[in-house]
Amino acid sequence: MTPDMLRISDVHKRFGTHEVLCGVTLTVRRGEVIAIIGPSGSGKSTLLRCINGLERIDSGDIWVDGNSVVDAAADLPRIRRKIGMVFQHFNLFPHMSVIRNVAVGPMVVLRKPRSEAYELARGLLDRVGLTGKEEATPYQLSGGQQQRVAIARALAMEPSVILFDEPTSALDPELVNEVLLVMRHLAKQGMTMIVVTHEISFAEQAASRVVMFDRGNIVEEGTPRQVLQQPRQERTEVFLRQLEHTVDP
Amino acid sequence: MEYHWNFDVVWSNLPFLLMGLEYTVLLTAVSMSLGLMLGLSIALIRIRFTRIRAAIVLYVETFRATPLLVQLVWIYNALPASGLRFDPFWSAVIALTLNLGAYLSEIFRAGIISVSKGQTHAGLALGMTPAQVARVVVLPQAVRRIIPPVASMWVGLFKDTSLASAIAVAELSYRANILSARTYRPVEILTAVAVLYFVITYPQARMAHWISNATRVRE
Repeated sequence: MTPDMLRISDVHKRFGTHEVLCGVTLTVRRGEVIAIIGPSGSGKSTLLRCINGLERIDSGDIWVDGNSVVDAAADLPRIRRKIGMVFQHFNLFPHMSVIRNVAVGPMVVLRKPRSEAYELARGLLDRVGLTGKEEATPYQLSGGQQQRVAIARALAMEPSVILFDEPTSALDPELVNEVLLVMRHLAKQGMTMIVVTHEISFAEQAASRVVMFDRGNIVEEGTPRQVLQQPRQERTEVFLRQLEHTVDP
Repeated sequence: MEYHWNFDVVWSNLPFLLMGLEYTVLLTAVSMSLGLMLGLSIALIRIRFTRIRAAIVLYVETFRATPLLVQLVWIYNALPASGLRFDPFWSAVIALTLNLGAYLSEIFRAGIISVSKGQTHAGLALGMTPAQVARVVVLPQAVRRIIPPVASMWVGLFKDTSLASAIAVAELSYRANILSARTYRPVEILTAVAVLYFVITYPQARMAHWISNATRVRE
């Protein structure tokens, strides 16, 4: 077992003529919580989608838990089992009950029997505070509840790392905290997490490292205190100041 | 001059008409089954294999942009010229299937691409293979959206089979024409035929409506 959960090395990705990722290099150790901040359109979400191979990169290398995602022979479905992903718009399966949303991964991908998968799902829903909602359908839940189901769905595969793609950006402000609370618990329990977020308070309190992203590359990285309170780069400083203005009008 | 309705001619020929109705139902059921398979295959091919798209578009647009009656007559007369001989019933099945396949492929394609990319991503991110994503995530959602338009195609097809009378398929309308010519009572006979089409079609339309409500997924 290598200490490095994730190694991203000199990754380039372009859409047409627009270079979205320009030589990104980042290493994440087991149990680390990385908060990626930065302006919209800077490539943060694209980087996450490249990590689990939803997006192909043009050059560079990405290893997750020792497996190359980039290799042409890579067994992506097998590698993705170990990489959870939580989306900005939840992407729950609307035709399934809440508990089935959580159980479907283990049932279809890991071929677990239904009873075992449902038992597991019940436990996970309890863990994210949604006991009693098992038989509901996603549309009956609030955004915050849906996102917690999505987290439970990711956990059901027992991933070694979870990618969060702006998990609270689509939520009403009063629902943000219930999702962040679940994420903080996960962080405390030692889950390796990569979180693209605009929630500076979460980055401050839960992240072991903060990475500032701009125009397809990492501008600055360090502990939350270093990056958020004493940024060395002007771009980070400007970004943080703008964020403060939008949060507290 | 006043017209004197006389439905005796209908009652005495009812078995003859009902046999035609049997043909109509059979023609609808066989064409629909084959049309569904053809339509789904065409839709999947068009989505997955973009290289032969031009050929598929040509087929779909040809059959959507020409009258069904022309297609029926053309297939009935043109296929024997190329050495393939089918009786009227199977010629009608072929024409209706090709016509339906063209329409249904567009309905299927629209249903499949209407399921958002995020759903596919969520399935893939769990470690599903593309085939598992299709089976567990995309198709169940697409099917629910496809049910209402497919149901109305079915109801439309049931009535369109009457065009097969043009190539002497002994279905309901064909028999109605024969009877009308023989008895000089077209009004009574066509009224009876209309009633027969209605009693079969209307409950199906209601049932389709009920099914589409029962399977609707709210998002």
